[in-house]
Amino acid sequence: MKTILPSLALVVVLSVAAALAQEKSPDLPFAFAAPAFIKELDTKYPAQPPVPPSPPRYGGVLHFPAVIRTFDPTTAGYRPEFALVWDTLTEWEATWYFPEVQRTPVIRKTLATSWEMVNPSTWVFKLRQGVKFHNRPPVNGREMTAEDVKYSYELLKDKASYATRAALVKTITVVDRYTVKFELSMADPKFYLNVVDSLSPVIVPREAVEAPGGLAENPIGTGAFMVKDFSSGDGALLVRNPDYYLKDKDGRQLPYVDAVRLYFTKDGATESALFRTRQLDVMRVSTLDQLYALMKTSPDLQLYRVPSFGWGDYGLTMTVDKPPFNDVRVRRALSMAINREIVSEVINKGDAALYGPFPWALAGYTRRADYSYANLGPNYQYNPAEAKKLLAAAGYANGFDVELEWAEFQGWNFSDFAQLVARFYKDVGVRVKLKQLETSTWIAKAGGVQPFTQMLAAFSPIGAGPGFMDWVYIRYHGALPRTTNREGINDPKLDDLLTSWRTDPGDKRPALQRAIWDHLIKNVYRITTIVPPHYRVTQSYVHAGGNPYCWFPGYCSYEAKTAWMTDKAPARKFDKFAQ
Amino acid sequence: MRTYIARRLLQGGLVLWLVSLLIFSLVRILPGDAVIMQLDQAAGPSPEVLARARHELGLDRAFLDQYRTWISAAVQGDLGRSLITRRPVTQELGKRINLTAHLAVLSTIVALLIALPVGVLAAVRQDTTSDYLGRLLAVLGLSLPDFWVATVVVTFLAIWLQWIPPIGFAPLWVDPARCLSQLTIPALIIGARLAAVSMRMTRSSLLEVLRQDYIRTARAKGARERAVIVRHALKNAFIPVATVIGQQFSVLLGGTVIVEFIFLQPGVGSLMLEAVVLRDYTLIQGAVLFFAAVIVAANLLIDLSYAWLDPRIRYR
Repeated sequence: MKTILPSLALVVVLSVAAALAQEKSPDLPFAFAAPAFIKELDTKYPAQPPVPPSPPRYGGVLHFPAVIRTFDPTTAGYRPEFALVWDTLTEWEATWYFPEVQRTPVIRKTLATSWEMVNPSTWVFKLRQGVKFHNRPPVNGREMTAEDVKYSYELLKDKASYATRAALVKTITVVDRYTVKFELSMADPKFYLNVVDSLSPVIVPREAVEAPGGLAENPIGTGAFMVKDFSSGDGALLVRNPDYYLKDKDGRQLPYVDAVRLYFTKDGATESALFRTRQLDVMRVSTLDQLYALMKTSPDLQLYRVPSFGWGDYGLTMTVDKPPFNDVRVRRALSMAINREIVSEVINKGDAALYGPFPWALAGYTRRADYSYANLGPNYQYNPAEAKKLLAAAGYANGFDVELEWAEFQGWNFSDFAQLVARFYKDVGVRVKLKQLETSTWIAKAGGVQPFTQMLAAFSPIGAGPGFMDWVYIRYHGALPRTTNREGINDPKLDDLLTSWRTDPGDKRPALQRAIWDHLIKNVYRITTIVPPHYRVTQSYVHAGGNPYCWFPGYCSYEAKTAWMTDKAPARKFDKFAQ
Repeated sequence: MRTYIARRLLQGGLVLWLVSLLIFSLVRILPGDAVIMQLDQAAGPSPEVLARARHELGLDRAFLDQYRTWISAAVQGDLGRSLITRRPVTQELGKRINLTAHLAVLSTIVALLIALPVGVLAAVRQDTTSDYLGRLLAVLGLSLPDFWVATVVVTFLAIWLQWIPPIGFAPLWVDPARCLSQLTIPALIIGARLAAVSMRMTRSSLLEVLRQDYIRTARAKGARERAVIVRHALKNAFIPVATVIGQQFSVLLGGTVIVEFIFLQPGVGSLMLEAVVLRDYTLIQGAVLFFAAVIVAANLLIDLSYAWLDPRIRYR
């Protein structure tokens, strides 16, 4: 017995010490501190951050997280980071939150400098002259020409990652060394919006594709950075392309930094630790509490807190072509049964915006104050009594049983969301059976490749840029396959509106987009709730581009091209990735 | 002895063939495939485009046809190409095995450095404070999950010391300082857990041996206690400990996924997890087959080591 006593005493002392340490802490649990923190963020970090000082400082190595398994657009799924190495014909300017985007989309002319519609099915693009591929064998810095555009489109347009948009291209013809002509399989008076970055084919040189190892071993493009070292699973080192063709608004050569180092991180705690130790300079933070913890230990960080355009919302997809969801009263009831304020509190401590059938901006709602219940209508307002009446009117006075599938997905909290939904639905008599899926299966179901049973907790289908085509047309048109229209929506009136939008040369599009919004909020083909904002943090020594709205470095390659680092930045070598 | 080894090798070959068949079948039962898993959320290709992509990867061929092609190449050392990166599986595995092997060896060294002295001390001083402290440590080591310890360690290192282990693997023979600063903390975390198991096994095994007649005889002959423990008891007591360490070492080679993720040290565990998530069939098959071979070989070596540890053991 005597021998046990010292061990027990040690345990007791440790426990008491831990308890005392906890008692001393003056901090409130974060759930209670969140409203004050959000208010602080609103005032301290306005949506439009300060313009970076000028002139920029050249040099430095920028570090940020990324997920890339191979630098090869012919084999891998599309990754936004590819834009650092390869260019598309044009890029979006990141002014996606402004209404002007819808009438006069702001496009940066990268490889294409002008375009002309011969007729809605025939488009001619003029290419920038003097653009060179990276000066590496086997391409050795030769000039990019119209032949490369034709080759790249023919190579990539039927690949799964690019096919959504590029499949519209029936044939592509080289008119002269710097001119290409696109013949479309379907008339599109706004085709130039469908060759803008992200899901459009990048321009690759034939020699690199055909060299041993293909583009994975010879990742040669026209982009601002050249792959110097790719360390599978670890990260990659990309160095500045000295022959890059873009200059900033004052005529200075881009990019400003000497290199970017990508870390293939897989864990939020690791990313936070890397940021705290100044091994990451810019990163996305998933949740408000992660941001809070980070700001407590890195008080000098810079934050861009940007309302999400629509990526990463919390919603429910239903089999709208089958009972009971083929009855609009049921869909409205299920939408009304959800208290979106509570969803916002649980998912992100209240820091989230309401979300409708598609991005607010595409319906012309461009101010944060517009993101309101008033603009969503009664179907989005918490009203369990009305929900019960609607269910009774639809013949479900005693409710019904439904299976809700969901999965864990890094950075999101579908577990809590699915449980909340089940709780709300119980109140109106709908008995939810939750079914957790393995993440890969969930991705297949959310992508429309594999059918879901009845309901699926998932993001709304997204677009790669601010285009209405990506976000709405291909997601709701009844003629499109389940891989894009995953709910199987088949609504002739909606199809008419979408077709009118597609064939309109421009002026009526904003009004048509609003009419489609109004139609969708009445019919509730997808139950949407909230979308948390994007939090992008940067170290105090980094001016991460002049572009405040790029929340994810890869999506806006221009951000990496225009980022610069002050002399307070850590000195870093860039001979190889592991240094 | 030679007959025994030959028989074991034949058995090992049979095991590997069964493993290959099993893993080849199982990965294809999983829902989804490599084409779907690498799509961007914004992409929505038509079923025809998806079918074409599957055809390019050979996923639409008959099961037996696919298996025959793969296994006939595998026996010649060609494990195929990753469906995602299109690089040879052997190349993908090579670098990760290097890191994992470093981590496994370092963790095992840490485990042995803790487990052997503490286990021996706990056994020879049974029911004393040392014994209770040792057992308490063992229970703590077993109770604290790796992922929790790793998360806490990485967070507190970052906050308090403004330092975390460097990222980007360098083998010990290329850059010893970088390698050790990178792997020491993950090895300590993994090794501590492994030590807990080995320490308990060392203690109980040694206690049993210390009660044997030949130990009493040694003591009666006037041998010093240290000599009794080290020369007579420990070697015999080490047989079950060697079995445990051998098994744990095989497990370590197979994966220390969570610690790899948290410290951003991409070894085989994280490679295999990613391969499963992305349905990279050839990579999963190659990796599993490789590890089955490693485990078969490790078990054979452990069995052979018994004869060295205890000369009374004979193989037929």
